[in-house]
Amino acid sequence: MSLPEERDVVIVGGGPAGLAAARRLAAAGLSVTVVDEQPELGGQYFRRPAPEVARVWGDHRPEGRRLIDAVRAAGVECRTGHLVWGVDDDGRTLLVSDPAERPVRLRGRYLIVATGAYERPFPFPGWQLPGVTTPGFAQHLAAADHTPVGERVVLAGSGPFLLPVACSLLALGVTVAGIAEAGRPYRPSLRALGAVRHPARLRELAGYAARLARARVPIWQDTVVVRADGRDRVTSVTLAAASAPARPVRTVAVDALCVGYGFRPQADLARMLGCAVRTDPATGDATPVLTPSGRSSRADVYVIGEAAGIGGAPTAAVRGLSAALDILGREGHRPRAGELRGLAADGRRLERFKSLTDALYPTPADLARLLRPTLPDTATLCRCEAITAGEVRRTAGTAAGDVNATKAWTRAGMGPCQGRECGFAVSAVARTSSDVFPSRLPVRPVAVATLLEMAGEGGPA
Amino acid sequence: MTTADVVIIGAGVLGASAASRLARDGHRVVVLERGAPGREGSGTTAGNLHVQAVHTRRPGQAVPLDSARFAPLQRAASDLWEDVEDDLDASVELRRSGGFTVAETPEQVRELHEKQAWENAVGITTEILDGDAAREALPQLGPTVAAATWCRHDGYANPLKVTPAYLADAVRHGAELVPFAPVTGITRDGGAWRVTARTREVRAPVVIDVAGPWLHRIAALAGVRLDMSPVAIQMHATVRSSDGLPHLVQHIGEGLSVKQVSAGNLLVGGGWPARRLDLDGRSDAGVDSMVGNMALAVRILPFVRRLRLLRAWAGPLAATPDEMPVIGEVPGSPGFLVAGGTYAFTFAPLWAETLRCLVTGAKPPVDISDLGPERLMQDLPEKKR
Repeated sequence: MSLPEERDVVIVGGGPAGLAAARRLAAAGLSVTVVDEQPELGGQYFRRPAPEVARVWGDHRPEGRRLIDAVRAAGVECRTGHLVWGVDDDGRTLLVSDPAERPVRLRGRYLIVATGAYERPFPFPGWQLPGVTTPGFAQHLAAADHTPVGERVVLAGSGPFLLPVACSLLALGVTVAGIAEAGRPYRPSLRALGAVRHPARLRELAGYAARLARARVPIWQDTVVVRADGRDRVTSVTLAAASAPARPVRTVAVDALCVGYGFRPQADLARMLGCAVRTDPATGDATPVLTPSGRSSRADVYVIGEAAGIGGAPTAAVRGLSAALDILGREGHRPRAGELRGLAADGRRLERFKSLTDALYPTPADLARLLRPTLPDTATLCRCEAITAGEVRRTAGTAAGDVNATKAWTRAGMGPCQGRECGFAVSAVARTSSDVFPSRLPVRPVAVATLLEMAGEGGPA
Repeated sequence: MTTADVVIIGAGVLGASAASRLARDGHRVVVLERGAPGREGSGTTAGNLHVQAVHTRRPGQAVPLDSARFAPLQRAASDLWEDVEDDLDASVELRRSGGFTVAETPEQVRELHEKQAWENAVGITTEILDGDAAREALPQLGPTVAAATWCRHDGYANPLKVTPAYLADAVRHGAELVPFAPVTGITRDGGAWRVTARTREVRAPVVIDVAGPWLHRIAALAGVRLDMSPVAIQMHATVRSSDGLPHLVQHIGEGLSVKQVSAGNLLVGGGWPARRLDLDGRSDAGVDSMVGNMALAVRILPFVRRLRLLRAWAGPLAATPDEMPVIGEVPGSPGFLVAGGTYAFTFAPLWAETLRCLVTGAKPPVDISDLGPERLMQDLPEKKR
């Protein structure tokens, strides 16, 4: 295997944050590589539609196409289909497998971690049935493949993301039977969102709300999913008041159910690089400790976008640019006129919006408290290893609130997802103080054949 | 302050098993654990039950262990493991499905014969197969295997179940388990020891230091300076495999142990060094060892090449400078017992019974006269007063 190539900057993740940083850095003449595991850049937000879909239905986010084109035109080396799975023993060389699962080593004088977010699911009896997905998956299917997740759908969970997903489904002709929101953000009603003076992005939310109201999509607040039923696929969902999960209030016939409680930063790689993390007091998520420009406790590593803390795509772009300007400053480049001031203003505006929306919805800690009693002992908590909520609860005494002891004693979180799916729920049920499983090599499962090639013993058989 | 008959420091497999034996004997036992029980070496170990003689060096190990001296201990431990599940009335996924130790070079083949003499001497039945016979017995073995020792007593127990099962048994018999209680002080108090851990203070005539890689740090609190050389080694787990690997596979000359656990994952280890030992945090697995260990696994078991590596982790190992176990009372510190060293998982039932005998004054099941802590003491007993 060849020696690592050294670039000025290596960016892991080609979503809004990574692309914004890449474009600016390359424009200033730095050598930049963007690595992304997906076959095309864009991340989740700018996910590219399949060519067939784009031909017939157009591009749902043409600004994503323009950004990707600009990044490529700026001379950024784009390594798509490349999975970063670890960090070498030197603590700075990224271990990557290429689309043919051959090993690649990448090294940058600066590393930018822009790995995005995970969705935050929470289990309920029946969550393993086909037809039960996350809102993010439904959105991806709608946007990139123009394919409805079902014909009659209930969206459930918490957070503003449920609204645009519902609108995407409506646009595909799907019957959205209702939205179950665990909190009470829309007081006195959804329409009220638009009535107050809010920054532009809250008006965007109000726009979704208006669209849903026109389609007469009911929004059930203070409502959670307590079970899904069906034989080979989900056919009904039972809902209850979050405050009284034992007394179901309605059962709705569906052929798809999308449940998600917002997003969690995907900080595994940052942690493996040795960046200091802290448990965010509001969210309980492991969040890297960063300067305002995204610099971590390691001077050569930046963390931007959702990996730095959930904020949405516009915030991600601002963070990407901030990190780029910080690096350029350290490299002796001068910012463009007004660039720093404009960025700071954008940052402040977005921060206001974020605190407004955060205040509307329950925090993850609230959610853990709210959802914990809804889960019966018999429900599967860790799907990979088929561990029930009861098994995790029974270890609570001896594991004493240690999420890793809980994992060791139950196997919850030991499967292929390594806790990415179930981590929040396991910690909520085990009442642990933090929901982070350790960040371990490999960050994602890696082919043994890839390791063999690193050992110089021949490639994949 | 509470009083007890025995304070056990460390709720790893040795502390748990010793607590179980002593509690059953009617002793009032308190187990103090710095974190969650069974989470360090005992929770990160591979869970192998080594009955046939082991190879003598981990990768990077300075001093070879005395494999011949191990054999009688392995034999005694093997017999005790037979009853562990019945005795504890718990499943620990105990499997005695036998194991192979492979050799690739003529020198390694000679070593197989050499160790068979030690095995025979203590009544461990083994059989040496040539390469083809070994491949016939275990078709997954690769072409470089020149010979292999087969021992039907080798096996596996799930380390994540063994320690909890022993602890549950101890608690059932009246022992008190105090997790998240790091010991900060051990002082002599009349004819007894006074042990301080967080808000707890326990007075007892007997203290058993089974703190694994922290064994020397705990002993130091009692004024005993022991020379230990803890290291961190790493393990690797693949995704679940549909290929069944029914036996433990080890290597006589290189660091390798491979087996399939009940969940279907393959566990690959062999004592490869972790990236670093961090006694105050979590030790990290390293890439060089991962690559080296997996390449060796593929050479001996080529089907492993088709799998994916799911995770790697590191765990501390309470090694001694001479690589031999340490067990016994500290001279000059009456009632202060230590137990630890490598292969503690295999030896757990044996060391538990031995510790019970040392506390009660009964004759230990095996001769441990040469395994006491004297050889590791950095000061003469007189000097530490």
